[in-house]
Amino acid sequence: MSLLTIQDLAIRTNDLSLVDGVTLDVQKGEVVALVGESGSGKSLTAMSVMGLLGDGLFVDGGTIKFDDTDLTQASSTTLNRLRGNEIAMIFQEPVSSLNPLLSVGAQVAESLVVHGRASPAQAYTKAIEMLRQVGIPEPESRARQLPSELSGGMCQRVMIAAALISNPRLLIADEPTTALDVTIQAQILDLMKDLTARSDTAILLITHDMGVVAELADRVCVMYGGSVVEQGPVDDIFEAPHHPYTQMLLKTLPRLDEPPKGALFAIPGNVPSPKDWPNGCRFQSRCDRPSDRCQTRPLLQGSETHRFACFHPVGDAS
Amino acid sequence: MTLLSVEDLRVYFPVRTGKFGATPAVVKAVDGVSLTIGANETLAIVGESGCGKSTTGNAILGLAQITSGTVRFEGRDLSELGSRDRAQIWRDMQVVFQDPVSALNPRRTIAQSIAEPLEIHGYPKAEIKQRVDELLALVGLNADQRDRRPKALSGGQRQRVVIARALALNPKLIICDEAVSALDVSIQSQILNLLMRLQSELGLSYLFIAHDLSVVRHIADRVAIMYLGLVVEEGPAEQVFANPIHPYTQALISAIPLPDPKQRNSGRRIILKGDLPSPLNPPVGCPFVTRCPEAQDRCSQTRPPLVVSSDGSRHSRCFVHSL
Repeated sequence: MSLLTIQDLAIRTNDLSLVDGVTLDVQKGEVVALVGESGSGKSLTAMSVMGLLGDGLFVDGGTIKFDDTDLTQASSTTLNRLRGNEIAMIFQEPVSSLNPLLSVGAQVAESLVVHGRASPAQAYTKAIEMLRQVGIPEPESRARQLPSELSGGMCQRVMIAAALISNPRLLIADEPTTALDVTIQAQILDLMKDLTARSDTAILLITHDMGVVAELADRVCVMYGGSVVEQGPVDDIFEAPHHPYTQMLLKTLPRLDEPPKGALFAIPGNVPSPKDWPNGCRFQSRCDRPSDRCQTRPLLQGSETHRFACFHPVGDAS
Repeated sequence: MTLLSVEDLRVYFPVRTGKFGATPAVVKAVDGVSLTIGANETLAIVGESGCGKSTTGNAILGLAQITSGTVRFEGRDLSELGSRDRAQIWRDMQVVFQDPVSALNPRRTIAQSIAEPLEIHGYPKAEIKQRVDELLALVGLNADQRDRRPKALSGGQRQRVVIARALALNPKLIICDEAVSALDVSIQSQILNLLMRLQSELGLSYLFIAHDLSVVRHIADRVAIMYLGLVVEEGPAEQVFANPIHPYTQALISAIPLPDPKQRNSGRRIILKGDLPSPLNPPVGCPFVTRCPEAQDRCSQTRPPLVVSSDGSRHSRCFVHSL
């Protein structure tokens, strides 16, 4: 049985639909990447799992099941029991996500104390152990320091330690390496790989970086215009994408591992903002193969493992 | 022909540290950088945050005060120019920053924003409208968008407006400081193609400051890798990417995750230990010595000199790996 199952999720403000038609699932111990450009709805989807949608945003349909609990209907008591305990989250900006006035050791220990799983003293000892596991040198003295005394990469390690100390079953990582320099990103990706190999924590990884996806994900879920347009195993998505958007997105990336060949392939047009979403397929204005059928919204179809929302798929999709 | 040459540029910022700022100190943001850019050439400066790449760009533009060293544009030392000559240089040298939202005045229409440099430099009113329409067409915007405000445009379109404004006075050099970093991937390629097309049509030179090596490999003729205020390696882009010499360059290139799941666990990656040292207290010898997997004793004692390859095309600062 799936750990997390999102079915037909819709999120909106009073007058605008921002996400509709997100269906995905995360199995135990698996890394699922949720990929998309800005405004695709990937972060909103993640926030709704945590019950952390901002003011004026609400879930307008669909279900988010964690085990058997529908998180869209859950009481705040239930959510509080799960958050920081069974479901943990790390954010893009490590420095602004940590409390600047509290020692990092106390912040890592916090969730164990809040959830009554350890005394403050036990939790602090565990926190030092956790800081060691995420590769912070001299964790005993580092634990007493404030976030401002640590570098960005170190703060991201602290946030990962704080998220993983309760041994969550699901970790939601929202652009965990985007704010970091590449050599530090390499360290954090390595750490995340190592930690997932050692525990059976599942990760829902939100990112726009196809390199990070290729590095970390088992399965990929591609979002465009507020809905999932394709999902499948990472090798299939990169080698044989069926949705024209996925194919064009991969083609448009400048490659580090290939010499340049003149002009880059570019996807025409702009990412449509939610108020300009067309009826039917939202990629139709930028697509190289639109037809009259695309005026109707395509639903996810395909095999059990590899699904796409397109009437005119790329390659052999049968 | 050399358009811009920078010799032994140093930019130091005084700061105060310690309790209540009791201890004065100096951040050596740029500590001896030499570069040249030829006509119709793209030089990329690459490095991680705090390496001094943007400060180098700002110093060339006159936006950061130079501590020592010279910046020459077409052979003329910028520090020795009078205000009239300086105004001419400012026409020849323009800049495109990362964030088009903060680079454009939200109250002005895009035509007004593009016209501003023309007005400042005394273009006749009658010609301005025509020039603005020309510029809009040049960067791929429709003339009917001229009266829109930035808010009504997408991120990619806004960056096109910023580029049009930079082109208004027919510059010879454009400094692109992370000009495509804030754009979505599907838009980034459009803007890169635009920059490359403009270069071949107008014979522009670019100083392309960036952290994304995939982008740099695509657009740059030559690339300079900076670390902690110093250029540690420089050379033709193809050669530097195919055969990096400095251990930092090697680690930086290997650290980029490739969009290819088959490369996963291929062992190509060099993971550096630790963080960038504080620029307040940089290592005495090689700036990279604290993280270098191949550091030797002498690396921590003396700064490695810049070594030039026999054909003069490549430069590197490393005791261990020679050219």
